[in-house]
Amino acid sequence: MEAIADYKQLKTSVAAAASEYGEPEWLVERRVAAIDQMATLALPKANRFSIRDWPLTPTDQPLISSSDQSLTADVQMEAEHVQLVQVGSTTVMVNLPTELADQGVILMDLMTAIKKQPELVQQYLMTVIKSDEDRLTSYHEAFLNAGALLYVPKGVTIKQPIEINTVQDSTREQPLVAHVLIIAEDNSHFSVTHHLTTKGDVANVANVLVEIQARADSEVHYSAFDELGANTMAYMNRRATIARNAKVDWAIGMMNDGKTFGDFDSDLVGEGAKSDAKVITVTTKEQNVCINTRVTNRGKKTTGNIVQRGVIMEKSNLIFNGIGHIIHGASGAHAEQENRVLMMSNDAHGDANPILLIDENDVLAGHAASVGQIDEKQMYYLMSRGIDKAQAQRLVIRGFLSTVIGAIPAKPVRDRLTNTIERKLEDGIEL
Amino acid sequence: MATLEVKDLHVEITDDEQQKSREILKGVNLTMNTGEIHAIMGPNGTGKSTLSQTIMGQPAYHVTQGDILLNGESIIEMPVDERARKGLFLGMQYPAEIQGVTNAEFLRAAMNARRADDDQISVMAFLKELDKNLALLNMSESMTERYLNEGFSGGEKKRNEILQLLMIKPSFALLDEIDSGLDIDALQVVSKGVNSMRGDNFGSLIITHYQRLLNYIVPDVVHVMMGGKIVKTGGAELAQMLESEGYAGLRDDLDLDVKLVDED
Ligand SMILES: Nc1ncnc2c1ncn2[C@@H]1O[C@H](COP(=O)(O)OP(=O)(O)OP(=O)(O)O)[C@@H](O)[C@H]1O
Ligand SMILES: [Mg+2]
Repeated sequence: MEAIADYKQLKTSVAAAASEYGEPEWLVERRVAAIDQMATLALPKANRFSIRDWPLTPTDQPLISSSDQSLTADVQMEAEHVQLVQVGSTTVMVNLPTELADQGVILMDLMTAIKKQPELVQQYLMTVIKSDEDRLTSYHEAFLNAGALLYVPKGVTIKQPIEINTVQDSTREQPLVAHVLIIAEDNSHFSVTHHLTTKGDVANVANVLVEIQARADSEVHYSAFDELGANTMAYMNRRATIARNAKVDWAIGMMNDGKTFGDFDSDLVGEGAKSDAKVITVTTKEQNVCINTRVTNRGKKTTGNIVQRGVIMEKSNLIFNGIGHIIHGASGAHAEQENRVLMMSNDAHGDANPILLIDENDVLAGHAASVGQIDEKQMYYLMSRGIDKAQAQRLVIRGFLSTVIGAIPAKPVRDRLTNTIERKLEDGIEL
Repeated sequence: MATLEVKDLHVEITDDEQQKSREILKGVNLTMNTGEIHAIMGPNGTGKSTLSQTIMGQPAYHVTQGDILLNGESIIEMPVDERARKGLFLGMQYPAEIQGVTNAEFLRAAMNARRADDDQISVMAFLKELDKNLALLNMSESMTERYLNEGFSGGEKKRNEILQLLMIKPSFALLDEIDSGLDIDALQVVSKGVNSMRGDNFGSLIITHYQRLLNYIVPDVVHVMMGGKIVKTGGAELAQMLESEGYAGLRDDLDLDVKLVDED
């Protein structure tokens, strides 16, 4: 933990900067309170992994600054897409068709939402993930500088995927502290694709939180393609609170090139709530990655699935923790998980740890875990058809990772994920 | 014309658990040319699959003596993918399943693997060829969008091996028990597929236990393998004789010292 010389002074400067941006009093107060929390809270903990030495809470950089819009040049923006594009704290595009706006759908960058929809933001911000959970969530609230609000009213179904593009501006020192707040009112149905990239090579921190409030009978499909740069140290925390008979599906392609600590949680609160979390990753070079995917069954007859699949190359290290927690009283709960790591290098290290915490008798829970090499029978079969070793490996690996690729609704993002995986494999496979 | 020669081939397999090597093939000799269909018959456990896997280059099988030549060139040091690109194909007894890779995508990759980088097959040409062969094998188009062999029934897997054969068009196809587990209609369909390949540029080595397959794909040469060696070679009538006499009869006729699996 970095020593912060003077919390008092930090509070004063953050409050001054926030006020200068015209932030409402309640937010300035929350930022200041969060700095107090930072002083006492510990870093998040994970099984078999420590981020003690990761400097994830820089405080000596500007709170908010503006970025060059041209950094989003390679983001596909289409007039007919439902889309929000942001680089750093600067919003480049928000596209919400009028028929959706007329139905009450809100899609705004977070800073605008704070001004235009203050009640909504104040009511929901940091309610799924709380600022006083640990040092990184409190840091998040204190230094928040980017993000989006998506609000889908009761009974509204949106067919097209909603795309959120977050570009980290690493052309200079500036932490990205981004927050995506998603509220799915009763019986709403929609899907979100969140794509994160980095422009520039300056070493920076990214602290990204995604909160989903899934109200009764709603259905949210959230897919992510994380593509933060090699010099970005990332903390990513995504969590959904899922009410009665609601369902949240996650499909996360965690393809960051740098150090990453990820917590992906589903809180099955209401009776009959469901979640399906699929996470894939490819780690390369000396990358150090820990992903904790958790499902907590609180309500009766809740169902949670976790699938985590990782390919580890070169000298990288990957820890997958799959955490299934069934709370006493969640009778009829169902929790399944599968964590698999494919080792493509003898210098790489990987762990797949299923962690089951079951405090209820009337449940169905299962798990599978493996760390292993590529299947020789599959390789032989493909090669016996003339396909060379490198391509055969890529095919087998792509198959291994296909669960998430296929679940991303936005085709450009899906294609790019496929390409990114191919590039990582091409660079990282030693023959 | 292409030639495949197996000369005095001795093959060992190492048992991982016991760390012991065991010789399975004990001097196999065989020569075949394109334009010919050869059949190999023989009792269970005698080394038929071992022979086909060794020709293809499955790394578990170690050649300790002898050689395998394709058009006069030794291939025993070549990796399996290179042998395939040189014209060998093995229709396997137990094909692998690969999730996430569609059958069509796999077929295209296999066809392109043997073509130059600047001469890759076009989507149109590929689909045309695929449709033609699907029709020939009575296979539904949906099979090609499914993941490679995943959840295929035994018979569907066999058909899929033949589909690959028709698409890849090798010089030599080693077909290991392509008839096992097929219903009567499927047997005819699969045979039709293989027969459609017959011609000057194609040869096949068919491993089977049943004379019935050889009624549909009539072989030019029949070999009988026992105890890791080819003990008799003849024409199509040899298969018929075996059907009536069984292997024990042939063994005793030839006065061989070979133990058959279902004898004590
Ligand atoms: N990969 C292997 N590991 C261990 N033993 C093997 C392996 N492959 C073959 N063998 C052994 O070698 C012998 C010959 O097996 P092979 O599969 O070649 O017989 P086959 O003639 O094809 O029999 P079948 O008619 O039953 O298919 C058997 O005793 C078998 O157990
Ligand atoms: Mg066999």
